[in-house]
Parts: sequence; structure tokens; C-alpha cells
Amino acid sequence: MTQTKLEMKNVTKAFNQDMILKDLTFHLEKGEIMSIVGPSGSGKTTLLRILAGLEKPTEGEIIMNGKNITKQKANRRSISLVFQQPLLFPHMTVGENITYGAKVSKKYKEEKIKALLEAIGMTRFRDHYPSEISGGQQQRTALARAMATEPEVILFDEPFSSLDPSLRQDLRYWVRDFLTARETTAVFVTHDMEEAMIMGDQIAVFEDGNFQQIGTAETLHKLPANRRVASFLGGHLILNDHEFAPLHAVQVGIQKGLGQDISFHATVEHITYQHGRPIAHLYIKDLEKKISLPINEALPKREVQIAIPSHSIKTFSGEIL
Amino acid sequence: MKLFKNKIFLLFLPAAIFMILPFYGFFHALTQSTGGEGLAHYEEILSSERFLSSVWFSIRTAGIATIISIILGLVFTKLFHPLLNNTFPRLMVWIPMLFPHFVWGYMVILIFSETGWMAQTLVAAGWLGDTSNFPVWTRDPEGIGIIVTYVWKEVPLVILLLFPVYASIRPEFYALVNSLGGNAWHRLTTVDLPHLLPVLVESFLIIFSFTLAAYEVPALIGTTFPEMISVLGYEWFYGSSWEDRPLAFAAMVMTSLFLLILTLIGYFGLSRRRWRAMRGDRA
Repeated sequence: MTQTKLEMKNVTKAFNQDMILKDLTFHLEKGEIMSIVGPSGSGKTTLLRILAGLEKPTEGEIIMNGKNITKQKANRRSISLVFQQPLLFPHMTVGENITYGAKVSKKYKEEKIKALLEAIGMTRFRDHYPSEISGGQQQRTALARAMATEPEVILFDEPFSSLDPSLRQDLRYWVRDFLTARETTAVFVTHDMEEAMIMGDQIAVFEDGNFQQIGTAETLHKLPANRRVASFLGGHLILNDHEFAPLHAVQVGIQKGLGQDISFHATVEHITYQHGRPIAHLYIKDLEKKISLPINEALPKREVQIAIPSHSIKTFSGEIL
Repeated sequence: MKLFKNKIFLLFLPAAIFMILPFYGFFHALTQSTGGEGLAHYEEILSSERFLSSVWFSIRTAGIATIISIILGLVFTKLFHPLLNNTFPRLMVWIPMLFPHFVWGYMVILIFSETGWMAQTLVAAGWLGDTSNFPVWTRDPEGIGIIVTYVWKEVPLVILLLFPVYASIRPEFYALVNSLGGNAWHRLTTVDLPHLLPVLVESFLIIFSFTLAAYEVPALIGTTFPEMISVLGYEWFYGSSWEDRPLAFAAMVMTSLFLLILTLIGYFGLSRRRWRAMRGDRA
């Protein structure tokens, strides 16, 4: 049986005249990981800070284990936050940083520190100072420090964005496994859709102060709620406010397509290579849209026709959940 | 390689030239303090009660003034550092630094002496029967007047030294301590103090060295007994008997050595691995 761990009910946040969060509602089951994905500056960090208790909501409530914790201070909440930067205390060693988390929250046990060091693969670096280890190791230590407080919920604020791409990839899987193995409830904020899909059981697309859609990666791709979601996913050609076509249905050719197809004139702007295939970056003037499509062979011309079979055209679901 | 060595030498040159004067002074004083009689003068002053009580009084007075200045400066900077970005509050803090210590000492006399403004105001307000009931805060045996003058004058210096460090502490560190479950005490001890430590040690050394050995303030508002080491040195130097002059040199040489040792302790303390790591050095 699942139980609701954390709930946000009708939360609104305004800074002066700006509405950052507009009537947000969602809930997390125990052990569930939710990714919140959205463009930079959309208010994702504010949302996390409100959950952590570092910021007060203008309206609405936060409920944890059925108890209203809206007025509870950050240091009283069993919620930990992993920041964009590792923020290790520079004068403390790796071991001391983790121990600090445990001691401040009065949950210190030497065995736990050892187990955490083991889990993050840093036992050998226990007595190293943060300036002596790499960025990835620092971020792993920061995670262990947050875990040492034994939080019921852990929040991540784009924790990998300052790391180089190859490291980021490894760390994503590592953190995901770490959280699943411990059945930790987590909220993971990112601006990277791929990262959101790797990290979260559920993905919440957040834009313009509200959730545009919450669902699995598959649901989002098959049934995007609106053009905002579709445009953020990047896997569709948006035809208008109501209709879209999945990119895999779009055909590129030199001649005009068959009669029942919708076709557009497009300009090849660039060819790149990804996953071993050439990718054509096209500009469709009529829709004022840019799309990227894998192609089978080099296109001889700059001017091409793209065709969409009319049965592939779908309408936005309009459903948030 | 030879060129490289020469270059290093050249880099040291300005500092070396600059240091010639104090070193010359120090060695000259050293020679004068022996007066051709070895360490006899040192033995003399070390067995002199006047000297020993002066040493104790100086260290105690300078120590109290320095610690109070640093604590007040720290509290003030912590509470008001966002305001100090504006010109007016900043000027308010900086102004006391423009006045000579002598002027500040004179002002303390005007305000806090038994016939000063404070006493007169209290009498006029009816809270004090007579100005003679006002406590002795200047030319007092406890050095209160000296401490008040120094604290008033050095707090702005502490603020000046701490302000840039405070401005450079990332506010996320406070949020982090909160989210880990820490309170105000944890924020102070794990974020503020470690960041400020090198500057706090430096401020302590600068202010303590100055207040321990400076002459004008204790000469103006100190008593004749106990007296600060600088006042005693001055009396021995310009006193009626020429024979006391080597004692003045011996006292000053010992003060210099004491401050040098204190500075070395501070330097080696801050060179420990933990504090080098704080500055981002690798082992």
C-alpha cells in the first residue's frame, strides 16, 4: 500500500508584484522520485526552497505525513536540500562534513558515517579537504552529508549542472540507484529533459509558475498536454495551439508528398551527427519553427519538402495529470 | 636559472629596504639596552615590581580593549553589513578613523570625566546627586578610560577589516546549515567564524600590538600607577636619571620580542592544513 509522504496544496508565491508560483498542487508517495523540469528562471528553485522551509509561501499549505508543516522552520523539517554547488565546508574534511550533517541533526552514529563513505566510494578520501577532491567527489560528499541527517524527503536543485558532461552522466545513474536502494522520497529539479527522465518516476513539466503536465516520460511523449509541454520535450512538430505531429512521423524529401499529406517547405540550416546518424536541422518558414530530424542520407539540396501523413496529426490532451 | 634567482631577489628588495629601518632601530635598541653590561639591565627590570605590574597592566588593558573591539566589530558587521554598501552608513563608520587617537582620548575625558558632560547631564536630570558621585572612568587605576578610547577608535577598524570578508560569504551556506537542521549558533560557528578566522587573528595582532605599546592615550588618560609599558618606557628614557635609559630600551626590546612571538604563533596557527584548505590550497 502506498502512503502519501509529501503534499503541496494550492501554494502561491509572489515576490512584490511577480507571481512566481500560481496555485501549485501535487503529492509524492513514499519512496517516489519526482523530477521537476522547466526552463531556467521559471521558479523551480523557489518551489524547492519553499518545500525546504527556506522561503515562506504567500498562500497554500505543505503537508508531510498528514501533518501541516507550512509554518515549521527549515531546521525542524525532516527535509534535506542538495544545492547546485556542493557547498562543502572548506575547513572540514570529507569525513567531518558528513559527520557534521549527522551531528547537527542529532543522528550521529559512527557506523552510519562509515556506511555513507563506503556508499559514495569516498572511504579512501575521508581525511581529504574539499579543495583536494574533484567536483564530482564534492557533490557526492554533499549528498552523503544531506543523507546523514536521515531526511524523510531529499530535494535536489540541479546538483549536476556544474559538473562536466561525462561525470554528470555517471553521477545521474549513481544517485538514482542510491535513492532507490534506500527507498528515499525525492524531488529532483533540472532544466535538462534527459536528466529528468533518468532521475524521476514521474516528470513534472514546470513553466510559467505552474505544472503544465505531470506524468511518466512515455505519457508526456505520447500525450503532451499542451504546446508548452510539446515544445519543451522537443520531440514534436507543433502545428498550432491544438495540433501536433510526432517528429518520427515527419518525412523529408525533395518532391512534394502525396495528396492526403500536409506538407511544408523547409530550409536545411545544418547537418550534425548524433548516435551515429546524420541529423538535419530544418527551418520551416510557414510555422516559424526549427526542427531536427535524423535522415538516412545526405540531402542534395538546401531547399526540401517535409510531409506529415494526416493520420499522424494529433491534438493536445489538455490534461495536467 | 640564475636569472630566476636574481628576479626573486629583486622582488624582495622593496620589502628588504623597507625593513632596514625597523631592524636598525631594533638592533640599536638592543645594543643600548645592554649598555656594555650584558643582560644586567634585563635582570634589573625583571625583578622590578614597577615593571612587572606595568607589564601585567598593559597586557590586561590592551587585551580587554582588543577583545571587546573585535567582538563589537564582529557583531556590528554581522548585523549591518548589507547597510554598509551605502555611502552614508559607511561614512558614519569610517569617520572615527580620521581622528588622531589623542583627539579621541580628549573627547573621552570631556564626556566621561567626573566633571564631564555625562556627569553634568546626569546631575541636571536629577539622577545623580553630585558630580563627585560619578564613577572614576578616566585616569583610573583600572584603565577604563584607556579601554573606552581604544574600543571606540578600533571598532571601525575591525568593521573595515571584516566587511569585505562578510560580503564574500555565500548566503547559500546559511541556507545549507538551516536545511541540515542547524540553528543560529551553528551558522556562526561553521560559516562565519571559519571564514573570518584569518582576518580575526590579523585584527587581533594589529590592534593588540598597537594598544599594548602606544603612548598617547595612556599618557593622556592613564594614572601614574599602574602605568602602561609605553608610559613607563618614556619616563625611564627622559627621566631625571640617565642611568634609567637602558632600562627603557630593555623594556621596549622585550615588548617587541613578545609581539614577534605572538605574531609567529598566529602565523603558524593559520598555516595549519585545515586553514590552508580553507583558502583552497591543496596539500
